[in-house]
Amino acid sequence: MKRSTQIGLGAAGVLLVATAWSLTGDDPPENLVYNSLSECQAGGQLSLQQCETAFSEAAAARIKDAPKFRSQSECEAQYGASGCNSASIGGAQYFIPALAGFMLARGFSGGQAQAQPLLPPTTASCPPGSTQPECQQARSSSSSSGGSGGTSGRSSSSSRAYSTTSGRAFSAASGAAIARAGVSSSSVSSRGGFGSFARSFSSSSSS
Amino acid sequence: MRRIALPPRPDWTQQVERLGFAFHTIDGETYWDESAAFAFTLEEIERDIEAPSEAIEQLCFAFIEKALGSEQTLTKLAIPAEHWDYIRASWQRGERNLYGRLDLAYDGRGPAKLLEYNADTPTALFESSAVQWDWLEQAMARGVIPRGSDQFNSLHERLIAAFKALREPSPYRLHLTCVEGSAEDKGTVDYLTDCAVQAGLDARFTYIEELGLLSDGRFCDGANQPIETLFKLYPWEWMFRESYGKALAGSGCQFIEPPWKALLSNKGLLACLWEMEPGHPNLLPAFFEGDPRCATLSPRHVRKPLYSREGANVTLIERGRVLDSDDGPYGAEGHVLQDAALNLFSEDGKYAVLGSWLVASQACGLCLREDASPITKNTSRFLPHYIEP
Repeated sequence: MKRSTQIGLGAAGVLLVATAWSLTGDDPPENLVYNSLSECQAGGQLSLQQCETAFSEAAAARIKDAPKFRSQSECEAQYGASGCNSASIGGAQYFIPALAGFMLARGFSGGQAQAQPLLPPTTASCPPGSTQPECQQARSSSSSSGGSGGTSGRSSSSSRAYSTTSGRAFSAASGAAIARAGVSSSSVSSRGGFGSFARSFSSSSSS
Repeated sequence: MRRIALPPRPDWTQQVERLGFAFHTIDGETYWDESAAFAFTLEEIERDIEAPSEAIEQLCFAFIEKALGSEQTLTKLAIPAEHWDYIRASWQRGERNLYGRLDLAYDGRGPAKLLEYNADTPTALFESSAVQWDWLEQAMARGVIPRGSDQFNSLHERLIAAFKALREPSPYRLHLTCVEGSAEDKGTVDYLTDCAVQAGLDARFTYIEELGLLSDGRFCDGANQPIETLFKLYPWEWMFRESYGKALAGSGCQFIEPPWKALLSNKGLLACLWEMEPGHPNLLPAFFEGDPRCATLSPRHVRKPLYSREGANVTLIERGRVLDSDDGPYGAEGHVLQDAALNLFSEDGKYAVLGSWLVASQACGLCLREDASPITKNTSRFLPHYIEP
């Protein structure tokens, strides 16, 4: 394939996943992201059995791959209030981010792709009190992990923020949310030394 | 290579806007045009576009090596002498580049020909990377193009990977900047900011007019934050000549694109490459204006200012008669003359130029711009492409 297999646009809160066309004429499932097992089953794109398989794969992968914390406060510092559950792993007690949803590549029904767990957005990308619609959507439903909530990841109107087990955010504008590091102790001696050509040229500065 | 008329999505504006594509219409004129698309075979893409693009990039690197040692060449390229050492240092440090776009003439017949290299401040990136990609998926789903079609477009993943590798240690703090008041430039930088964030970088935007200079010689953003690494969608030839040009060498700032790209985003490159490799299959004969060898050019040729953007001040000449020209503010630094390409795609009075994308010097994407004249301008429309299964 000469193209990317998926494109995440954080600012728009959209994740695009390439279709693995079977070329047999079956329409592929439209939905890529489900917030719960029941939403998958109600979606009608996959069989009840396929939804259950995908959900349990994602749930198992979350236990295995999600970051693990010793205390609830450490976990919540990263995933927000009510963003974490306790889990007993190998006999030890941990706190891990909630299962906020799961994601399957399109063409899943015919392929081998494993369902990926989706975690609540990190507080770096969705700080508490964020007014980003994707963050509000995520925060309002993350307390009821696995509950019903948003819809397809392709729909930007109800898109919400998630993070993956590797910590990647693919929704919500995280650029503006990163905490500013300390401001320099050097003082500003001047400003505005670039940009004069752009002002004097009516034509574009890019090509 | 074929131009295929296709029905646009009835809700195409909503579809492209949901991706955050705000400049699909510029000054009331359609810019994103999906009423047609260009179909390629995989062989055309790999043999005629991908491989030559990487070959041209290697040729450009060989040229930089030579040019940095030649005062005569740097003078011909109108690079200010006070910045020569600064440019040499950036090349010797091996400062990495992010991206560039080679504009090629190609109509499916014969080798693609280099028209120019937008090595420093290329736009049309977001629509190439994301909007065109999403169009392909939906066009296959709607059945207007064959299922199993593909696209020459791994720009998104390559940009993220390139951002990670631009500086050590990574992740690092990256500022991104462009001029105020251009939706197209801001849209391009917003997309690159998104890619940088996905690469794990601490990415911050500031307008170029807000840049300041700290007492220790470093540049700072509008919030007085020192700048370590700066992506600037703003041409080097302007930065060299503006008041902060003198502060560049002492700023300790790593620029993206690096200063050595100033040698490539200059139309003088076309004459220099032809001088190095006369007869190269992907080059058109070109000479600096005033060179007696200009007399050997074909009667139909193009006059281009060394510094020019989006077709401004480019003139198409046939037997001394001007066939097409675009007004603009450029040209004071000199011109090159280049043979007109014989394989520029044209059909029914429409002309298309291919933009072959390089990310970290790897060819990985394609865009097409179409216009009613042979000179591609900033009013040209963007048309999507696909690779036939």
